[in-house]
Amino acid sequence: MSLRNLGWLILALAGAVAWGMLAIHRGETISAGWLVLAAVGTYLIGFRFYSRFLADRVFGLNDRRATPAERLNNGRDFVPTQRWVLFGHHFAAIAGAGPLVGPVLAAQFGYLPGTIWIVFGVVLGGSVQDFIILFGSMRRDGKSLGQMAKEETGPITGLLAMVAVLAIMVILLAVLALVVVNALKDSPWGVFTILCTIPVAILMGFWMKVWRPGRTLEASVFGVALLLLALVGGRYVAQSPTLAPWFTYSGPTIAYGIIAYGFIASVLPVWMLLCPRDYLSTFMKIGTILLLALGIMLVLPPIKLPAVTRFVDGTGPVFAGKLFPFAFITIACGAISGFHALVSSGTTPKMLTRESDARLIGYGGMLMESFVAVMAICAAALLDPGIYFAINAPLSTLGGNVQSAAEVIRQWGFSVTPDQIQSLAASVGEKTLLGRTGGAPSLAVGMAHIFSSAFGTGLMALWYHFAIMFEALFILTTVDTGTRVGRFMLQELAGQVWAPLGRTSWYPSTVLASAVIVAGWGYFLVQGVLDPLGGINSLWPLFGISNQLLASVALCVGTTILIKSGKARFAWVTLLPLAWVVAATFTAGWQKVFADDPRLGFLAHASSVTQQVAAGTMEAARGARLIFNDRLDAVITLAFLIVTLLVLLASTREWMLVLTRRKPAKAQESPFVETAYAG
Amino acid sequence: MQGKGAAAGKLVGGAAGPQGNPAVFQRIAAVFRRIAGMPDYEAHLEHLRQHHPEKPIPTRREFYEQFLESRYNGGPTRCC
Repeated sequence: MSLRNLGWLILALAGAVAWGMLAIHRGETISAGWLVLAAVGTYLIGFRFYSRFLADRVFGLNDRRATPAERLNNGRDFVPTQRWVLFGHHFAAIAGAGPLVGPVLAAQFGYLPGTIWIVFGVVLGGSVQDFIILFGSMRRDGKSLGQMAKEETGPITGLLAMVAVLAIMVILLAVLALVVVNALKDSPWGVFTILCTIPVAILMGFWMKVWRPGRTLEASVFGVALLLLALVGGRYVAQSPTLAPWFTYSGPTIAYGIIAYGFIASVLPVWMLLCPRDYLSTFMKIGTILLLALGIMLVLPPIKLPAVTRFVDGTGPVFAGKLFPFAFITIACGAISGFHALVSSGTTPKMLTRESDARLIGYGGMLMESFVAVMAICAAALLDPGIYFAINAPLSTLGGNVQSAAEVIRQWGFSVTPDQIQSLAASVGEKTLLGRTGGAPSLAVGMAHIFSSAFGTGLMALWYHFAIMFEALFILTTVDTGTRVGRFMLQELAGQVWAPLGRTSWYPSTVLASAVIVAGWGYFLVQGVLDPLGGINSLWPLFGISNQLLASVALCVGTTILIKSGKARFAWVTLLPLAWVVAATFTAGWQKVFADDPRLGFLAHASSVTQQVAAGTMEAARGARLIFNDRLDAVITLAFLIVTLLVLLASTREWMLVLTRRKPAKAQESPFVETAYAG
Repeated sequence: MQGKGAAAGKLVGGAAGPQGNPAVFQRIAAVFRRIAGMPDYEAHLEHLRQHHPEKPIPTRREFYEQFLESRYNGGPTRCC
């Protein structure tokens, strides 16, 4: 046995031992180091063996074949890029709030189910999806997922995919904005810091466009420095009795503020606000994630959450529903995320220098995102379970004050005193942490624990608000770039009805399309903010379902590519994750609509509200609004399921036609051109 | 994995292919720009000189504006 193989054997053993430790140590605390070791060991084995199998045997990556970046190099979007640099770029594009928030919410089932799904889901599912879509798009000059669906399966599938993407975007933006609202309501420190990012970004925009064109690095260093200043300044604002009221807002007010911001950012020239914010959030994101990884390695915090909690039975307070299927849609990003198929089939394939780089970028980039999700689980699981539930359960369940909350949590079997909840809030510089649903605040508390233990104690409040700023910054970047992308998609669709609406440079069309998109996600955002159960309970599953259904569409396209390029014997690499994702997501979708439990099923909730109105315990106007929203959510869920079912059927038909030789097995690849790069 | 990625990126520099200025700071700046999604001006000039000598050379400002146009007026650049 060679020395190299010995290394892989040791690694495999280390991963296996770590999984063994997780299996044995049930009911006692265990170090987060075992979680990290089990994950990293599995990733490296998956990358070394499975991704090589995919690259060599299944896809047949060929470094003699010139990539689109080489053939079509135009210095703008088609640019050959060094592979580790592109890895950083691709990772920054795919990783957002999803892999941080989803695992924190799913921690109500305990740390083990989420960890297993994140680690094995990514190796066999998520990374395969990203890799095959990147590969397919690279062989087709960087075509989008919708275009590939259209060319390989048919025009109707292409149109369905496009409509699905637009609808998913609307839900995604609403739920992410809701996470920010819940983190910032009644928090003058947080609001001040986040507000400061707007003038800082505008200043950077003028720097890069007017004063010193294209000098990105200087402007970004300057911007990050100002941002850290704003973070420190936020403390003085929060402690000042005159300034604090200026920055203290309720949930609905912040929601309307974010809606107005999204609209303005979409119609302003990109250089002024959107592009500089994008830079700020990219650097903050990569920097903070590296810092978090370093912090976890240094501190190796003990995990206090049980491996599996009693809430696997579906009675959990964070969101309703049993372990299967809800763990698998709550954790979307981090295990498998359909949204990645949009980045893997847009920007990134136009930047690959060599075909073989797609393995590191596509498969490896998603492994890295999965690692972020594992770190998020660690950050949530190091909290006392009582504290975790005090932050993540809705206020209506907890009863509104620390005494009632401690009592409710005690009945769930976790001990926490009112004093502990209150002193934790005080130590992070907040008036209250009770019922701050959405995952971001509990993640920030966990991160503040890690950072203050690793890099300096006594700065808990500063680290907490640093973490909140980090999350809000890149969520708002997703909100503004997402609104803009949604606007372009809508203009493209509307242009097919009346041509002038499709002209993206025509200002009335721009304003109209932006307003429609903002109104779309804004409606769901306000619905979530006013929801008595905290909004996350209904909106996060809706987002998870839509994201996983998009993954199903992507895996269908991937399977079609394989079968049409004569690789049907390898089609199981995409069919296996497809079967699992479809099973989990359709079960979840069905339960969200039709389950009898009013906490779980939208329609059951609507009829329970009807009864409350009839009994006089709820006023009629409020009841009517809740009923309308429940029915709307039900219709949207069903529409997602139907669209995906249609894509599945159209794809299966195509596969059958090719497999029974009624249609030639020919994929629409760009012709082979020999590379000019030296081998 | 991540740490190794960042370090290797810094050492090897910005765009692939031939490159002119070896100054370390410029290379680091180029890596940061590329990670944020912005192509390298110097590398593009070099590419134009080699492959398209007939095309006009854009100024740094024009190059930046072309980049903004192509990056933000298309499909999704950021995920959830």
